[in-house]
Amino acid sequence: MDAQQSPHTKVFIQRDFSDGIAVKFQTRYPQELEGRVDRTTYERTINNINEMFAEAEALSTRTCCESCFACLTAYIALMCIDTYYEKTLKKVRKYLEEQNQTIYMSRGVMLIDPAERGLRILEIDISSIDTPQR
Amino acid sequence: MAKTVRRWEVFPGRNKFYCNGRIMMARQAGVFYLTCALIIIVSGLFFAFDCRYLAEHVTPAIPAIGGALFIFVMATLFRTSFSDPGVIPRASAEEAAEMERQNEVANPNSPGTYRPPARTKEVVIKGQLVKLKYCFTCKIFRPPRASHCSLCDNCVERFDHHCPWVGNCVGKRNYRYFYLFILSLSLLCIYIFACVLTNLILRSQDDNFVTAMKDSPARYPFTL
Repeated sequence: MDAQQSPHTKVFIQRDFSDGIAVKFQTRYPQELEGRVDRTTYERTINNINEMFAEAEALSTRTCCESCFACLTAYIALMCIDTYYEKTLKKVRKYLEEQNQTIYMSRGVMLIDPAERGLRILEIDISSIDTPQR
Repeated sequence: MAKTVRRWEVFPGRNKFYCNGRIMMARQAGVFYLTCALIIIVSGLFFAFDCRYLAEHVTPAIPAIGGALFIFVMATLFRTSFSDPGVIPRASAEEAAEMERQNEVANPNSPGTYRPPARTKEVVIKGQLVKLKYCFTCKIFRPPRASHCSLCDNCVERFDHHCPWVGNCVGKRNYRYFYLFILSLSLLCIYIFACVLTNLILRSQDDNFVTAMKDSPARYPFTL
């Protein structure tokens, strides 16, 4: 929550509900990233994030066993271990941090973890001061 | 030296936080304490009086099963009451401004002063048209099945209802615990009732029914 020193533009990527209410973000390339990040890189990032969320919400044997085991221990086990969903959310956060560090920050763009916004939107901060390096 | 401010300290909704932000409850939690007291007192009386007789004369598994059920009930109750029901964080000022801007673009003939209220956004979900309502307090378009709780002043995902007995909203993230609480509490009630009946029947076979009642905790209201 730092005070913004430099002017920022914010782009909000909405959820893509075309396949149902599962967590999935629109892969449409925003105009504001023109000249900073190329289309393929951006789409690859978003697709990876969507894949991770799909994997988190998929009904698998692992999730089933985890839920049954947690229920049998009266959910006290959940105080010690993270569920698969929570682990995947952490994975998404780490992936976004890594993508920001390697690709986006050097071009003055920052992707904000959707978990910070209640999985409603994926916020993109574009600094208006930094000129694109490439 | 800047002190980090935790998110729960500046939370805009009407929730109360305890244990350094680990516990999240509604503002009015009085009925929750009543729920706890009722469950603990009734179970306590059951374990103190009926279990002693039944453990000797029938089987020691009776207090064991009763104990397991009681622990499950309390654990699910605490999980329901203390966890986040699925509160949607409010929109940041920039996001709200962006929404205003987009609405003004859609309405070019009414420029300036006051924008028209009550906007809905239409979204196609698997080929079906769904209207998302705009929440004026949280400044977001609510996802499908989300609703705003007026008591807690939050939008909650898959909002079921605000339960005063549990002292919290029931929504997507604590629905499972709420349902299991209700289920296990019903089982506990039926179990205690059956055991108490068994107790009275067995005792009245040894003596008569009146002596059986006198030995059980039921005598306390009558002696007062």
